[in-house]
Parts: sequence; C-alpha cells; structure tokens
Amino acid sequence: MYDKEKKLIDAYMAGSMSRRSLIRGLGSLGVTAATAGVLVNAAATRALAQNGFDWKKHSGTTVKLLLNKHPYADALIANLDNFKELTGMDVEYDVFPEDVYFDKVTAALSSGSTEYDAFMTGAYMTWTYGPAGWVDDLNEYIMDDSKTNPDYNWEDVLEGVRKSCAWNGRPGGALGSDDAKQWCIPLAYEQNNLTYNKRVFDSAGLSVPGNIDELVETAAAAKAAMDGGYGIGVRGSRSWATIHPGFLSGYANFGQKDLNVSDDGKLSAAMNTDVSKDYHAKWVKMIQDSGAPDWSTHTWYQVGTDVGAGKSAMMFDADILGYFMNGGTAEAGNLAFAPFAANPDAAAPTPNIWIWAMSMASASTKKDATWYFMQWVTGPEHDLFGAREMDLVNPARSSVWADEMFRDKLSKSYPGYVEMHDLSAPGASIKFTAQPLFFDLTTEWAASMQKMVAGEVPVDEGLDQLAASVDSQLKDAGLG
Amino acid sequence: MDTQSTLEKVLRGIAITAVILFFMFPIFWIFLMSFQTNETILRVPPSIVFEPTLTNYKALITGRLESTAGALEIEFMSNLFNSAYLSTMAVIVGLILGVPAAYAFGRLKFRGSEDIAFTLLSFRFAPPLLVLLPLTIYFQQIGLANTYFGLIWVYQLIVLPLILWIVRGYFEDIPADIEYAYRIAGHGFWATFRKIALPLAMPGIAAAGLLAFIFAWNNFIFALVLASADKQPVTVGALAFVTASGIQYGQIAAGIVLSILPTLALALYAQRYLVEGLSLGAVKG
Repeated sequence: MYDKEKKLIDAYMAGSMSRRSLIRGLGSLGVTAATAGVLVNAAATRALAQNGFDWKKHSGTTVKLLLNKHPYADALIANLDNFKELTGMDVEYDVFPEDVYFDKVTAALSSGSTEYDAFMTGAYMTWTYGPAGWVDDLNEYIMDDSKTNPDYNWEDVLEGVRKSCAWNGRPGGALGSDDAKQWCIPLAYEQNNLTYNKRVFDSAGLSVPGNIDELVETAAAAKAAMDGGYGIGVRGSRSWATIHPGFLSGYANFGQKDLNVSDDGKLSAAMNTDVSKDYHAKWVKMIQDSGAPDWSTHTWYQVGTDVGAGKSAMMFDADILGYFMNGGTAEAGNLAFAPFAANPDAAAPTPNIWIWAMSMASASTKKDATWYFMQWVTGPEHDLFGAREMDLVNPARSSVWADEMFRDKLSKSYPGYVEMHDLSAPGASIKFTAQPLFFDLTTEWAASMQKMVAGEVPVDEGLDQLAASVDSQLKDAGLG
Repeated sequence: MDTQSTLEKVLRGIAITAVILFFMFPIFWIFLMSFQTNETILRVPPSIVFEPTLTNYKALITGRLESTAGALEIEFMSNLFNSAYLSTMAVIVGLILGVPAAYAFGRLKFRGSEDIAFTLLSFRFAPPLLVLLPLTIYFQQIGLANTYFGLIWVYQLIVLPLILWIVRGYFEDIPADIEYAYRIAGHGFWATFRKIALPLAMPGIAAAGLLAFIFAWNNFIFALVLASADKQPVTVGALAFVTASGIQYGQIAAGIVLSILPTLALALYAQRYLVEGLSLGAVKG
C-alpha cells in the first residue's frame, strides 16, 4: 500500500479521522469506496496482529474448509488474504452448491474423513453432528486464553444467536444452557419478518399488517390488487424448512412450542393446543385465500423469486431473502421491510432464526491451527468487513450492528431493514426443541400442513393426528 | 403399395406432430430460456417474444456470473470437462474389462458363471450411498480419494454391469458355428475372438458403450461424495446456479443446453447402432 493511503487509514483506525473524511481522502487519491473497505480491513488486521497474541504460531500450516455456495462464503473468500498475511497460514477450500452441500458434509463427517478441518453448517444440523461426535465442543477453545486472541470478544456475539449454537445434547435440553456445548460459532443469521412490495402496497393503499389477523386480511387485499399475482409468499414444500421461517416465528409469538419437556426430561407433542389450532387455522386460510397456487412446492427459492419478480405482494420469510431480492430483480428497489409480531398482545416479534455457522470437524488433524482460522472468521474484524463491504447480513455481532457505515449502507437501499432488525433481535433465537428427531417430526408437521391447506383434513383434526403421531414416534425412540 | 387414405395420412401427421410437440416442448422452452435474462424469464405472463441475449452463455464460458449478490465465479466449463473426461475414461475402461468378460459369460459356460454375472449386475441394485461411505474410508486409506483414477474406478459400478449384460446377450446371439469354422481353419482362440466375435458384436458394443456413457454422464453422487469441488461433474456443477440469493434460470438453461450437446451428438451419430444393437442383443432366436 502507498504511504499516503496507509497514513489516512491509520489515522482513521486511531480515531482521529471520521469515516467520511477517510472516504473523501482516499477518493482524492483515486481509491474507490469498495477498495477502501478492503484497505481498512487490512489495517484492522494489522492492528489485530499487534494485540500480543501469537498469530504466527501455526505459520506454514494449511487448513481446508468445506463451504456452501453463499454470499457469506464469498465474504470469507474475499477477505482470506488478510488472514493469510496475519497468520502465515494457508487456507484451501471446497465450495459446493447449497442443494447438495449438506449431503457432502454428512458424507465427509460420517466417514471420518480428515480432508476438511472446518465447515459451514446450520445450527439445526449440529443437533445431529454434535451427539454423533463428528464436531468438537468449541468452548474448549473459546475459553482458553492461550488459544484465543484477547480481542475475540465472544460476548459481542448476539446472545440469542450465540446460545442457539450451543446444546447439551440431552433431548429437550435448553439451547445455551450452562452445560451446553458450543457446537458451532455463528457467521451470520437470518430473522424471519415481512418483506413487502412498497410499490404494490402504495398503489393499492395497503398498510403494513401488525398481527396475524391483519396479515390474513392484507394478503387477501393485496391479491385482489395484483394483476395475476398472489398476496403472500410462504414456504409450503414437504420439508422441515416449511415450518421454520415465518410460520414458526408467528407461532412462537403466541407462546406456542413444538414439544413439551416434562420434569423428567420426557418429550411430548405441543402443537394441538387451542391457541395453536387457532393460529394454524388462520395460517391455512391465508394460504388458501392468498397464497401461491403452487404453494405446496414452494421453498426458499420460489418464495424469494416470486417477491423479486413481482408475482407476490409480500413474503413472511427470511429478512436476508428480501435483502437479496431487492437487487437485480424486476422489483429491485421496491421492496421494504417490517418487523412482524403475529400476536397482537406481544410486545415485539419473536423470529425463529437460521444461522450459518462454522464447526470444527472432530476428525481434523490440525485442530489448533483450524481454531486460528475459526476465531478470525467469526471475529469482529471479518464480521465488520463482510457486513460493510460484502453481503454478510445479518452479522452476528452487536458491535457490527452499531457500526455507522453498515447501518447507513442498509438504510440507504433497504428501507426499514435496520429498524426491523433492532426491534426483532432481542427476541430472535431458535424456537424449536433440540432433539434427535427434529428433521423427521418437523417434516411431518409440514406434510400435515399440506393436508390442511388441501382441505384433506380439518385443522383441529389434523393437529390431533399429528400430535398422536409425534408422541408415538417419540415413545418409539425412547424420548417420550 | 400405399394403402393409406389421405385422411389417414393427415391424421397420422397430426398425431406425430402432437407427440413431437409434447415431448420436445420442454427442450424448446429451455433453449429459448437460455437466450433470456432472469427478468424476462420470470415475466407474468410468460411470453415467447423477447430480446435474445448471449449473456448466459458468456457467463458460463468466461466463468463469471453476475447475479443479485454481485459477481460470482463459476466453474461450469471445468465441470463440463470433468464430465466428459470421467465418462469417456470410465466407458473405455468398462469396454476393455467388460467386453472380454461378456464374451466369457456368453460363450464359455463355466461353473458359477451365472452367479458371477448376476453378482456384477447386482452392483446396480445397491443404493449408491450404501457403498460410498465405506468406499470413502478405503479410498482415503489407499490414497484414491479425490483422484480421477479413483472416480473412474468407482464409475465401473455404473458402466461395467451395463456393458457386460448388453454385450453378453449379443455374443450369445452370434451363431457359435461361425467361430468354430474359424477355429477349424487353424486360428487360435484369441484370433477368433478378435477377428470374428468382436466385429460381429460391434453394433452391440457400440450401443452398450453409448448407453454406459449416458449413464456415467448423468451420475451425480459418486463425485459429490468422493471428490473435491475441482473434480465435480456437470450434474453437480449445474446446481451452483441455484443460490441463496436467487435462481439463475437463464444460466441453468444455457448450462442444460451445453451439457446435453455431447450426449446428443453421440446419440445422433450412433443412433443406428443403438437401435440395432439393443434390439439384436435383446431378442433370442
């Protein structure tokens, strides 16, 4: 780097220059804002190197990662040179498409492969990987001052997100309990809220719904206003992923749970309460009246694509899906964001979350070196770089959410996003009960929902049948 | 003599056209999609009128894909090469091993031959994942994991039974008397196999080779589990267009067009062998 640029960046890092002055100064030297971000991160990395931690301890070691094709992985790869410079280590990586990613991970882990040292994962998946002994408890590293740099600041990671990656392995055990093992560390996460088409809402005179009844009404009104489109996009395929976004976020807002945990640790179905039946009935009616005609095939991709193409007026799904659809689509720039609390009596939304996180393979033969990479990639510097310069939204660290540059970036192009996040984040966590039958039972829940929407079974009867089936499976597995 | 009336001819023509339209329309639509942007593909309602663009093909060939999430590096051409290399080599190895074996099973009846042939066929019955997880461990131990050699070896699970069983039927259909006559003329076993049996079975061998190539080309799971990203075939690589930030329908369509070209060209070239070889090998006289 040239001296003039370096001096400007160092002045900014030392706090003697504002961000705007830095950008202006670098601009006068012919440096674009994007490049400035990379340079600032390089300076942050240099500062990190001065914190007294022996970053070069594993110099010359190569670690290999298994990554999902995702903007979070792109952010990681874009910043990798800074890590290599900081540690003298080398990093190799394999990137696989999301559709087959977890097949690859499961095959690698279950075969005891030593090829990959660390990999991207979802928190739900660690409920399988952890008890199977395929991944390490990262508390052993986080709490070890000789292995973790003093600026790592673990408490900076949002509490709900951090705890959602920790489980004690006991079926029904609370996430983030004192005896929980930290199976993964968050890279970034998704909350489930409303993304709506402001153009459609404005032209039809619609207001942003504030609870489940208003959502049902607004979706119907939006459908009437759409020319051949539909009112609201939610997932509907026969998959656990149909339950976890908008549906469960609204469900949890009424204080409802998937499973009860008795004092002696036995699990039983909890989805056939009166409140649950009422919520299910409204949800089913909303899909029947205003959902996609081919709702039962809709996954993340269809829900997002339709709102981006202007085929649906809104969606109740991951906020970052709306973020992605607000660029490069027919409705780019027209999408806006709003927090959503389904329960009119609730103080705030309680979004269920999906977390992309990093885990360490138990079969890795370079665990200490791998931890160096993991603490860097989940640390504040990379999180800030990814949030500011790439699409690492939603960052998992509160310090990044406090960053003025990041908030400005969001507020400028994604109206309502920051406010939505700030209001929802305190209640954001995984709302499912951690247990080994998670995928089977939740997929069955989605299958029941399909039957209800298709009118094959009334909602209350369908939920009673589902609860009976869930109880039976839990008993068979020795969990109920 | 032509016994068809004009009405019959017209009706037959309409029926054939309808069937062709029915089966070819998806391919035709994909072909059209490959020249459109995501925005025009997702129009409501869909339209056949659009301004064609080559950006999808350009993205695949240059390896740089512009998406809603920004620029993405894609490895499609590398995936295409991997598919071509793995399929071709697997079929060559399969033919070298399978054709003599098929001859042995078809012509030289020996104790346990049916059992062995059926065992080889049974490779096709086992769910691939059942085999692949133990294989992953063995491959790591003997250094075959993540190698083209290892993959070509595993691909024999697909191609070998196919070649063996198709070609075996064909060898059985060749009258043994022809070979006996050649042997009586003073030629050895190897010469008989090479000069008589092989040329007569060539249509069947070509058909089996082509089918094996198509099956190998369409395979998905073997490379996914056993190899790194740089050795993935097009069946895995094509999924890279389905991203968290959106589905790149245009690139998927262009990818489909490019990936079916090699098999389509081969099939068209060897169409005659395929029909002749399969029908002759399948029917016993």
